[in-house]
Amino acid sequence: MENPIVIGIDAGGTMTDTILVDKHGHFKIGKAATTPKDEAEGFLASSLDAAEAWGISLESLFSGVDVVLYSGTGMLNTLLSRTGRRLGLITTKGMEDMILMGRGLQAWADYSYADRLHAVTHAHPDPLVPRRRTHGVTERIDHFGDVVLPLYDADVVTAARALIRDKVDAICIMTIFSHVNPVHEKRIAEICRQEIDRAGAEIAVYTSHEVRPVIREQSRLNSVLIEAYATSRGRRQLRGIEDASKKYGFKYGVQTLLSFGGLTSINHPRLHETMISGPIGGILGAAYIGKLIGNDSLICSDMGGTSFDMGVISRGQTRIENEPLMDRFKLNVPTLHLDTIGAGAGMILKVDPLTRKISLGPESAGSDPGPICFDRGGTEPTIADCDAILGRLNPDYFLGGKVKLQVEKARAAFKAKCADVLGVGVEEAAEGMIEMLEADANNALRRVISGQGIHPSEFTLLSYGGSGPLHLAGCARGIGFKDIITFQFAAGFSAFGCTTADYMRRHSVSTQIDIAARASDDALAAAGSQITGVWQDLERAAVDEMLADGHAREKIRTVPFFMARYTGQLEDVEVIAPLPAVNSADDMRTVLARFEEVYAKANHRVSKYGEAGFSLMELGVIATADKIKPTLVRRPLGTANPASAHKGVREAYIGGRWHRANLYEMDLLEPGHEVAGPAIIEHPATTLVVHPDDRVFIDEWTLLHYIHA
Amino acid sequence: MSAYSKDVIRELVEGTLPWPQTRRIMSAYKDDDRFDKYISVLQDRVAWDDPILLPVGDRLFICDGGEGRVTRCECGHSFGDYRENWKLKAVINVRNTEASLREIYPNSDLPDPDWMEIREFFCPACAHLHEVEAAAPGYPIVHDFQPDLEGFYRDWLGKPLGKPGKETA
Repeated sequence: MENPIVIGIDAGGTMTDTILVDKHGHFKIGKAATTPKDEAEGFLASSLDAAEAWGISLESLFSGVDVVLYSGTGMLNTLLSRTGRRLGLITTKGMEDMILMGRGLQAWADYSYADRLHAVTHAHPDPLVPRRRTHGVTERIDHFGDVVLPLYDADVVTAARALIRDKVDAICIMTIFSHVNPVHEKRIAEICRQEIDRAGAEIAVYTSHEVRPVIREQSRLNSVLIEAYATSRGRRQLRGIEDASKKYGFKYGVQTLLSFGGLTSINHPRLHETMISGPIGGILGAAYIGKLIGNDSLICSDMGGTSFDMGVISRGQTRIENEPLMDRFKLNVPTLHLDTIGAGAGMILKVDPLTRKISLGPESAGSDPGPICFDRGGTEPTIADCDAILGRLNPDYFLGGKVKLQVEKARAAFKAKCADVLGVGVEEAAEGMIEMLEADANNALRRVISGQGIHPSEFTLLSYGGSGPLHLAGCARGIGFKDIITFQFAAGFSAFGCTTADYMRRHSVSTQIDIAARASDDALAAAGSQITGVWQDLERAAVDEMLADGHAREKIRTVPFFMARYTGQLEDVEVIAPLPAVNSADDMRTVLARFEEVYAKANHRVSKYGEAGFSLMELGVIATADKIKPTLVRRPLGTANPASAHKGVREAYIGGRWHRANLYEMDLLEPGHEVAGPAIIEHPATTLVVHPDDRVFIDEWTLLHYIHA
Repeated sequence: MSAYSKDVIRELVEGTLPWPQTRRIMSAYKDDDRFDKYISVLQDRVAWDDPILLPVGDRLFICDGGEGRVTRCECGHSFGDYRENWKLKAVINVRNTEASLREIYPNSDLPDPDWMEIREFFCPACAHLHEVEAAAPGYPIVHDFQPDLEGFYRDWLGKPLGKPGKETA
């Protein structure tokens, strides 16, 4: 095989996945445990695993590739462990308690449903800046951007000196309505820098309008704080990755993934935009697969050890979440929308001896100590133990045989802690546990689909993640998808998705442009020229950043977009503008018509409501530059008989009894093959269980289609 | 089933356990042997030897002494038989004037002393404030609760109590 051209690495909470891709679209997957203290270790171990699978050395791997993509957890860990920088905050006088008060939902976000109901468990996340290092200064700008109270310079000088005395590493500045008029934030920053110079200190200064000039103070505040707090260590981790790659001969800069689905260099000025990137890769990969198979309505579902993530692409539209949560802080970072429930193979199973109530998780055994069958010290039974007990996992082929599963040990513990307490047989209890997990995921999928207002028969389900295929049959049963697809590279699908991304910048600003339902031509044209002016400013800023990253001007494409709603609504729809500039009333009508079209796709055509008028709440520009991407190979369909991939039979317990299930090697399946259940299709990094009477068909792209009986 | 070490329970009682760990305990099923460990943590804290049967306040316990089952302060002072309202034998301070209420609400609105008074119950020996109640003037002193000790030990803990005064630690 030729040398790979792209390495994609997705460092998750437990495992670091690597995918290598050559220009003909051949893949190899590597896996290693994530090493949070020094991510470069896990990065190299995972790369080495993939390189070995490809049959080359690390040196020839890194010296031959054009792109190294890395999305990691360094910044998130800094935030979770509260080991970031020492911050001070200067804000509008009267707003000093904003950090302590937070948003109500920050007190229970990420909790299980039971804990949400029990207010006694609610607690706000620890603040990133203590109250004593928060200073209010007299100033006020109203929502039109007019100065109501001038800035009192003397207040700023006092605050800056106090923070310098407090030996902060960074000063954050966030004033009310700075996204409309940043003049006071700029002046505060200027005074701070003068005072820092005078004191001879080394302190960074961050302003909220530079980090993200978007409405909603609490999220803007959290964004600027997290940028100041967590990104310096995150950048150090990324530099470590870059140094490690260069040591083995890599010639270029390492790229990382933005939460809205693009790539950027690790010198990105707003690095917190890369914090929520792990699961994003899956959606990008899904969009890519959707183009291949000719369906633009897709549900992607990623099941790993801990969580089940679902993303929706609805008639070609991906949903953007504008205020995602990060460690229970609301942020102002546009993010591809994902729904998540706690459901994965690492979920710890508990049975209450008094009530015999069964609960799955929410705790996960993770990779350390892991499920009991890993024999690394785990003592609590998990879903993976049930899979092993029922013969669905191959005890000698887990991670290609690197981990020998101790089935008897798992069986003994599961019997004592679960089956005996429930008073039923081991197999029955184990299958029941798996069915509960699959039912949770199945319900979550139904909920996500019904939220789209589109019939499930339009959607193709893509299932991936290490344990996605293992539980695919139950998760998808009875929903009525148009098609259900999984992949030979299911375990590395998120990393694969990252490799399909382009270089990207996204700049946007909050606006309040209201256009009445029957606006005159003059009013339309005036709104248009205002919009065009903002787009031009944003385009300049985005292009300048990409030029600074070393992209040639002629390779950079820019597309303006806007966030709009019918006047009076509470939520926006993101719309890619049909025109690069709005120069006339007719242009403006074209733009509004496109909004209505997108709105009708995302909701339903009868929900259009133009009589209310239109509000443009945010204007933005996306700048992209192409990157080399993998292509899947199309091969003609061959024989339906999968005998060439057959590797034996094993007893597996499915649907209340033991079956003699045929075993197949996933990588040896060829286009045209058809596998009839009961069967188990194995891959070193994943396992696909085919239930009795169900079938799996391999198509010309070597995608695996699961067909329920 | 979860079980925690006695040190963890001690920190939980003292309120020094880190919040994430506290929340995990709150969200998990109740540990089987919590009551025993809880009682033994409390027993370690007091200077006297009479076995604690049930805590009824932060520093107030029903214990089994030579005089039978009594309500006892952490300092050792006995309020007498646990079936009687211990508050009747406490030192009581009643706040039923604006001036006395203002002492504890210096910066905020006050309850109307014609409608509500605040009663504070102190230990006569160590002056610890055991309980505060708010009631309408003239309302009898509230007997907070009289536990069914025998039923609790027999039906919930599965180890029936012996004769009063005969329990051993």
